[in-house]
Amino acid sequence: MNGQSAAAGTAGGFLETRTGRALASNWAACFLILMFAVFSLTSGSFLSVANFQNVIHLQTLPFLLAAGETFVIITGGIDLSVGFVTGLASVCAAKSIQVLLAAGMTATQSVALSLAGVLVLSALPGLVNGLVITKFRVPPFIATMGMWGIANGLALKISNGFPMTGLPDKLPEIGNGYLVYILPGQFVSFLSKPVGFANSRIRELLRLLPYSLPFILLVLAILAFALKRTRFGRHTYAIGGNVDAAVRSGISVDRHLVGVYVLSSLLAGMGGIFNVFQTGIGNYTTFNAQYEFFAIAAVVIGGASLAGGKGRIWSSAVGVLVLAFLENGLAISGVQPFYRYIAVGVLLVVAVVIDKIFPDLR
Amino acid sequence: MSNETKADARRGRAASFLGGHWIYLFLALEIIYFSLRTGSFASLNALQILLYYGVQVFLLSMAELFVIVTGGIDLSVGYVLGFASIISIKLMEWLGPLGLGEPLTVLIGVCATLAVGLIPGLVNGWLVAYLKVPPFIATFAMLGVCHGVSELIINGVYAMGLPKLAADIGSGHFLYVTKGVPPSFFSRPVVDRGVKVLEIVPDIVVVTAVVVGIFAFVLARTRFGRHVYAIGGNIDAATRSGIPVKRRLLGVYALSSFLASLAGIVYAFMYVSGKADGGASLLLDAIAAVVIGGASLFGGTGTVLRTMIGALILAVLDLGLRMAGTPTFDKYIMVGVILIFAVVIERYMPEARK
Repeated sequence: MNGQSAAAGTAGGFLETRTGRALASNWAACFLILMFAVFSLTSGSFLSVANFQNVIHLQTLPFLLAAGETFVIITGGIDLSVGFVTGLASVCAAKSIQVLLAAGMTATQSVALSLAGVLVLSALPGLVNGLVITKFRVPPFIATMGMWGIANGLALKISNGFPMTGLPDKLPEIGNGYLVYILPGQFVSFLSKPVGFANSRIRELLRLLPYSLPFILLVLAILAFALKRTRFGRHTYAIGGNVDAAVRSGISVDRHLVGVYVLSSLLAGMGGIFNVFQTGIGNYTTFNAQYEFFAIAAVVIGGASLAGGKGRIWSSAVGVLVLAFLENGLAISGVQPFYRYIAVGVLLVVAVVIDKIFPDLR
Repeated sequence: MSNETKADARRGRAASFLGGHWIYLFLALEIIYFSLRTGSFASLNALQILLYYGVQVFLLSMAELFVIVTGGIDLSVGYVLGFASIISIKLMEWLGPLGLGEPLTVLIGVCATLAVGLIPGLVNGWLVAYLKVPPFIATFAMLGVCHGVSELIINGVYAMGLPKLAADIGSGHFLYVTKGVPPSFFSRPVVDRGVKVLEIVPDIVVVTAVVVGIFAFVLARTRFGRHVYAIGGNIDAATRSGIPVKRRLLGVYALSSFLASLAGIVYAFMYVSGKADGGASLLLDAIAAVVIGGASLFGGTGTVLRTMIGALILAVLDLGLRMAGTPTFDKYIMVGVILIFAVVIERYMPEARK
């Protein structure tokens, strides 16, 4: 919890060289490439466009959560509520669509209206987190753990403990759609599969660029820009680096922290909405999903420190990819999926130990 | 002294008293509320059910208390619980055909599980104390490892095949009172059908009470306990005053996973099955009980009595809501609210230093 500032281990020889340091600071990316090499040897179908698209498409939610968590962790805080805020947003979206449909609105109207509403509302848990943390000085761990329970309870209450169905069929079509459909040698179709093409033959189609890919790239790029180039980002690093210095240099720390928790919660809400599009139903978050923990793991593997002041959006994204391809590669190679949990644990410790050996990276 | 300052002082004392004792008040109010709302809440039977289903949280919050007093956190307890529930059943299943007889099989199984259950804690302690990995990360990594290993052992299903004796202990009671028959301990007397047997205190509640008592003594009265508080209060001062901080931290994390393993064995005895994620949802309750009991996550404070009151608040809430027929979903919301409320009250009405 309290980042014990350990004396840096002595790293001699190769690790002191420029190449060594470059490798260490990008070890997650190196590990990712290494995984690609290993898994493409162990499984014939790992190295394919379809598989890669699939993995990245399924990681849209973790990408969003990890990005939000990156901001929070850089300030030296933690947000345990994101996983259940996702579930809450998902069931809220489903519920409001159901209600609006029942009220006689068209599918498009009700979807658009409820999504806009849910997106705005999903700032609320973050606002509460931020206010509790800054006004009442509750440690972030406790405040967001409280929200963990509250969001979970609300989501279960709204959904009554069952997935919420009865949403327009169009939703998963959009959520799982591709920009380009190609049937080799016959036609190229953009945005939707050609009219009259049988669903049973869908595997013959070459599908490229899921909608989720440009969406997530755009979101990550905006967030990376905000973190790196704007005043908001600089203040985020400043608060995490040294909160007293940040106060003295005139940053309104409390307001900024509220903003960071709101951002994290907004991204979680966005993830919940995406979840509705992807699955076509409203899902509450189950206990063993542990979205928040995997998001934190991705951020730490990406090189951020829980003590604050360190972290990058794209590095966290690499962390997400490491976890994702680990799962995918193991599954596709026929290894039992449970090894994944163990591997995540080992990777986390590796990340922290590297952080200890090179305290001044980045 | 003017009247105003006197009034201020009195208000200050009142606030300080409230800050120190609100959990007792809250627990009392909770019990009164549920007794009024459901007729059967204030009964021996309800109390026993409450304690019976609360044992896991009692043991896990006990484990969490030691770690939190040192200023750390242990996220792995829930999955160590699941791991131990599986290990105990698998061990007994394996020992069964050796022909040792059921009592010996169960005894060896329990002891061996407790020994194996030390391993996650020792690794946690080693990572935290010697490699300086933040407790959050180290124990989260262990959470993953325990989850993975458990699922590998049972191949993604349940562990079954607990000896009958163990299941009997899990559902048995300490004392049976029957009209016209002398009271019997630990075994249900053979009576005609329809004769009412009064069952008093489930076995596992007795076990839990004994264990909690022992560790309450350890934390409050022994040198180990004093060292735990010293480390949480100021780790540098603790080091300088000659406390073997690293060894103590190792011990604390080992103790935490020992208690979590015990909770896992109890889980197996109660539910006659082992499940990898059997304790996953209990992590919130365990930490919440400690925090509601007034311990600070920065370390140095927290007592067993108040942690147990915190756990009781959660247990009463759980059972009360169930008996009132409200969906248990409300419980999660309430736990979250009480958790934040506890810290806020601690902040604004700090207990006067004795």
